[in-house]
Amino acid sequence: MANRVSSLMANMPIPARQFVVFAIMGLMLAFAAVMLFSSDEPDPEGGPPTVRRLTEEQYRNAIADIFGPETEITGRFERPFRSHGLVAVGTGAAGISPFAVEQYEVSARGIAASVLSKKRRAAFLDCGPKNETEFDAACAQKFLGETGRLLFRRPLSQDELSGFVGLSRSATGQLGSFYAGLELGLYSMLIAPDFLFRIERVAAGNDGAIVELDAYSKAERLSFFLTNAPPDAELLDAAASGSLDGSWGVSRQVSRLMDSERYPEAVRSFFADMLEFDDFGETSKDPQIYPAFNSVVAGEAQEQTLKTIEDHLLENRGDYRDLFTLRDTFLTRSLGVIYKTPIPKREGWQAVRFQPDANRAGIQSHVAFLALHSHPGRSSPTLRGYAMRKIFLCQEVPDPPASVNFTAIEEHVDKANVTARDRLDIHSTEPSCAGCHKVMDPIGFALEAYDGAGSHRTHENGSLIDLSGDLDGQAFASTNDLAEALRNHPETPRCLAQRMYTSAVGRDITWKERYYLDWLIEGFADDDYQVPSLMERIATSDNFFAVVRPMDQPARRVAKNNAANGDGQ
Amino acid sequence: MAHKTASSRLWLSAIAIAAGGMAAWWWWPDDRISAESGGLIRDGNASFIVTKFAYALGPDAVGTDSCPNGPSKNVAEIFSETANGKRRAGETDEAYGERIEAGGRAISNAPDGRNFCVNPEIAPLDPNTQIMLDPKAQAGGIDLDGKNSRSKSDLTSGRLDFAAADGTTGVDNQFWRAVGCNRSYQQDGPSRGFEEGMYVGEWGILISLSGVDDLENDSDVDITISANADPMMLSPSREALDYGTYSRDREPRFRGQTSGRIENGVLVSEPVDVRFHYVVNGMYLERPLREARIRARLSADGVMDGYLAGYTDVVELYDFQFGYRTGKDAEGKPSDEARRVGSANGAARVLGHTCQGMWQSLHKLADGHPDKSGKFTSISTQYKFEARPAFVVEQSGKNAKQTK
Amino acid sequence: MKSLTRRTILRGAVGGAAVGVSLPFLDYMLDNNGQALAATGQRIPTRFGTWIWGCGFIPEKWIPSATGSNFALPADLEPLAPYKDKMAILSGFDVELDGVANKPHITGCLGMRTGIPVPDTNVKAPTLDVLISQIIGGETRFRSLEISSCGLENSYSYFSAGSPNPSETSPAELYKRIFGAGFVDPNSGTFEPDVEVMTRKSVLSAVSEDRQRLMREVGAADKHRLDEYFTSIRQIEQQLELQLQPPAPVENFSRPDAPDSQGAGSEIGDVLKTHRLMAGLLARALQSNQTRVFNMLFSDTTSNLRLPGETTTHHTLTHEEPDDRQLGYQKQHSQFVTQSMLGWRDFLDALSAIPEGDGTLLDNCLVLAHSDCSIAKSHAVEGIPVMIAGNAGGKVRTGFHMAGGGDPISRVGLTVQQVMGVPVERWGHLSMETNRTINELLT
Repeated sequence: MANRVSSLMANMPIPARQFVVFAIMGLMLAFAAVMLFSSDEPDPEGGPPTVRRLTEEQYRNAIADIFGPETEITGRFERPFRSHGLVAVGTGAAGISPFAVEQYEVSARGIAASVLSKKRRAAFLDCGPKNETEFDAACAQKFLGETGRLLFRRPLSQDELSGFVGLSRSATGQLGSFYAGLELGLYSMLIAPDFLFRIERVAAGNDGAIVELDAYSKAERLSFFLTNAPPDAELLDAAASGSLDGSWGVSRQVSRLMDSERYPEAVRSFFADMLEFDDFGETSKDPQIYPAFNSVVAGEAQEQTLKTIEDHLLENRGDYRDLFTLRDTFLTRSLGVIYKTPIPKREGWQAVRFQPDANRAGIQSHVAFLALHSHPGRSSPTLRGYAMRKIFLCQEVPDPPASVNFTAIEEHVDKANVTARDRLDIHSTEPSCAGCHKVMDPIGFALEAYDGAGSHRTHENGSLIDLSGDLDGQAFASTNDLAEALRNHPETPRCLAQRMYTSAVGRDITWKERYYLDWLIEGFADDDYQVPSLMERIATSDNFFAVVRPMDQPARRVAKNNAANGDGQ
Repeated sequence: MAHKTASSRLWLSAIAIAAGGMAAWWWWPDDRISAESGGLIRDGNASFIVTKFAYALGPDAVGTDSCPNGPSKNVAEIFSETANGKRRAGETDEAYGERIEAGGRAISNAPDGRNFCVNPEIAPLDPNTQIMLDPKAQAGGIDLDGKNSRSKSDLTSGRLDFAAADGTTGVDNQFWRAVGCNRSYQQDGPSRGFEEGMYVGEWGILISLSGVDDLENDSDVDITISANADPMMLSPSREALDYGTYSRDREPRFRGQTSGRIENGVLVSEPVDVRFHYVVNGMYLERPLREARIRARLSADGVMDGYLAGYTDVVELYDFQFGYRTGKDAEGKPSDEARRVGSANGAARVLGHTCQGMWQSLHKLADGHPDKSGKFTSISTQYKFEARPAFVVEQSGKNAKQTK
Repeated sequence: MKSLTRRTILRGAVGGAAVGVSLPFLDYMLDNNGQALAATGQRIPTRFGTWIWGCGFIPEKWIPSATGSNFALPADLEPLAPYKDKMAILSGFDVELDGVANKPHITGCLGMRTGIPVPDTNVKAPTLDVLISQIIGGETRFRSLEISSCGLENSYSYFSAGSPNPSETSPAELYKRIFGAGFVDPNSGTFEPDVEVMTRKSVLSAVSEDRQRLMREVGAADKHRLDEYFTSIRQIEQQLELQLQPPAPVENFSRPDAPDSQGAGSEIGDVLKTHRLMAGLLARALQSNQTRVFNMLFSDTTSNLRLPGETTTHHTLTHEEPDDRQLGYQKQHSQFVTQSMLGWRDFLDALSAIPEGDGTLLDNCLVLAHSDCSIAKSHAVEGIPVMIAGNAGGKVRTGFHMAGGGDPISRVGLTVQQVMGVPVERWGHLSMETNRTINELLT
């Protein structure tokens, strides 16, 4: 073969020969470039399939999508459980307290009563018995089958459906009303574990082998990742038709979901989760020290950061790393008080660009971050430093040792004009503290330019505040320097990619998945650190749907073959 | 007194609107505003929102030699001292009380039924309204006319200047003479302060300085005193917050522009006509002040503390303070007549004066803006205020509250 | 943990699922003369609860100098003089770490409550209130009530790692939960079972029956989580069951007024106010048999209490405040401890304000009050202060001070479980494992 090629070449005229050589060299170069710049996805590794609790937002979105946003949810929600930095990961490990179930029950009752109330039922039912006291089996079957498919995010099996219909039938008998009976059928679905938990199911395969999720579990992962809501009818149809088994079908759904109105909400809720905004529920400030800070301002502060993130990452397709240097944001008049910034716009949000010398660069300089990671009556370089390490860089800082010698600190407190740095300098001289505080405090010092509510300041207790510090070898002396250092830290984009993936799959990353993570980060860089591209890459990757069924877990029955009310209705 | 002509006022208004428009254009682009850091002075501007506002009055006069005939009386008290108003034998408390109220109401009207609060000019002289003629009485404030009027004829006319506790002499504060013997204007009376309305967003006052280099000493600053079009921003314990953003009222008559100077931390302004909003019992009123001037101390952290003083047109003062005849509803239409008449009579009864009595005192004690016949038409009025740092912007669109 | 395994709990849940809808209420006789307890011959139930305050104590102001029943109350316990006979003061009991890293304010608290010190909040066994509620919590509407007066949802009550029981932080919400919809006034006199409730209960039974199917489909760890879910469903069935039975009339009970307070953060004055409201509601809930188990968090273990206008919290003070030279201890920290003991007295006031049988509600309770550490600035888990209040219906002896002499604190946990009827003879791990009941506490 080689000989034949070389003899063919030998017989060519010189210019033609040159052309072929150049052409081949060109192709090889192009191939090398492709190899270099877009390496292939590593083979899927897979983790365990998960059983995840719906978050409060997901629960609310599900009810709003299925029964309309006006459907009131009367129960309360317990504080979410956070694991590996994310509530999204916590959902795969969180238990469920009696309080939570009690409240789900309250909500289920309220929702079922509202949906089947005289006023609203016509919107959900196009059938019904002539005599209200009689049970209309066909109608019940239709309503419960269709609603059940949306609530359980998969078709009901024949057995399941006849179970719910049977419940409604006997309840109709007991209560003397078809609608009251149906209401109880719906109630039982709303309290069922199949609604409250996302129970992932696995396509057939051997124990310990790498397999794929079944189509409905794929649909679930896709929709909760990209819309923070359950699959809509179209996505369920796609699962039923088998189109999620091919990459083309998945890509099509991914683009559709990322074009939907829910997509920006999903991005916002990811960042709200990563930024630990759920902790605001327990954050309060001393009103005498920070009179401008109240629960309304706390809510607006979170919205400011999320709005800024949405605007930068989605509207402007900006570089994720620039979130740490960005000086464009949005403020309300109430926030303007804390930012000491005039806000011409009376109602709603004023787009604001802080001047370079205004000490407001990056989301770490926003009131939400600064106030959340402070004490009720003062700032804390330690809390802020710890939060930056943990949240933005995915670094772990150990708990403080229990036996600490505090004498040095105590001696310091009595002195006049102390700043936080004076208090904390002790930490770096006391050996048992130094290890961790040297990691946390120096990056927190730059944020001492803001008090515990996030207002800018230059002095503390009458002394000029020294903002100098250091982030892993990058020294800084101003809030702007810190912003640059955070932006350019190699862990910054890596941490985001890791958080995004673990949030999507609801568990920590496995050891074997590290090559996949490298691949994601490489792609993230190629895409100029655009977050939508990262999300698309995750959602369309083979790793995203790969699972390894643990040895102790039997194969799950795939509901599809046993579907009661037909696929793709 | 330097009287500004109507045309110069118009001219100033035009400038104000133009300046406002420019500022609005600068502040109100479709896109982002530019924000800088800094303290109170930014680009030579420093603004304040008034957080305390009350009549500057003297120490309590009722019960002292300053009010030798006792306090002014309301109609019920006046009636109860007539022969008919005496308690009859066997009359229960309740019955007597009702009869006194009815008698009081009867003497609030002319024989033809016209109410004296609405038509104070037709009422006979009310001998039960006391004015405070005591030359020893004190009051704080500003010397408005540059004269210390303390002559014998001043004593007879009642136009007698005060000396203040801080050593200021020649203080023109005739309003205090008019109300000094009314119970409700004593220290703990309800009429001295009226700033609650400010804290619930009914009205407010903004002060802006521009061209400021130094809050300690600056020989030339521009000053705008205007009505606030936005509700005050408050802490959870209902205290005014510093550095809130507020919009000026868009109507030129609710803003006065003048100049001034800062000397050793004291701001002194040139006189300018200003006008503020005021709300009583759901009735929208206006509180004007002619030739208003500020003398206030500026602290390092931007708190202004001092006097705002000038002359109030007697008829307008009567209307926003006592008679409410010009009260308007939220749509700018005259308030329901029953509400206006009821409020004026009710206030007089509760606060311890008569409408006609106050009308007469104000006219008698007026000391400013003589008309062609030489009759004074305005009365010197002093307010004590505190103002704190704020941002003031121009507003496109409507005022937050209806103020017509 | 030998006598009570998770399997037994599961069996309970399965058994529960099979309970039918036939209701034993028709043969029930209502008492109509108001002498509920005596006349109906009902036994007064015993209740169990925990009460916790954060950041320990000042030993010299708290530990009585004498042991036994003849002792003087030191300064911080002085306000509790009215309850001297109703309390046992336990000092000098240790959480034994066995090399486990001491997570400040967590390890001590959870070590005491689970018998196993952990370096984080991932408990290795249920907390003892959960174990007790599995024995005595079944016949009431709520297996247990968790309440916090300092604005934080923590309760330090865990079913398992990842399953903390959240605390109610708002008096108004707490009221709604107990005395709102679903509450049946035991003294209303008329009773008619609600058909809707009956139907709903049968529906829930069906949900429980679905358990087997799901259990087949999930892995071991998730099975455990779903168990929690089904156990809770079972609790709701129980609540409904109770609504279907005429409640036993309760002597001296009247439904309390609804508070409008939503709780007010962490300022000490506000916390004391919120706490008094909540203690009052809880006492009524216990009296009317809505629950027999509770966990009350007065202040978080990392105490967030503060004085108005102060930049420091109680916890930060324990680390920053120098010892007062005259007094020899941290003065401001000490003031917070003093306030906490006043809160504890308020709590006992609320329980003893309710007459019950021949005595008060407090006599029929066992309240385990404790902190997370002894000396807060060193996070010491040795000598964590403990108080037992109430006599558990005569089963517990009080009115003495006992010095533990460095015994494992699990002895306390073991004893209260045994008193409350948990069949356990040995509890805790490694150095904390003990079978030594504190006999002094037994009558």
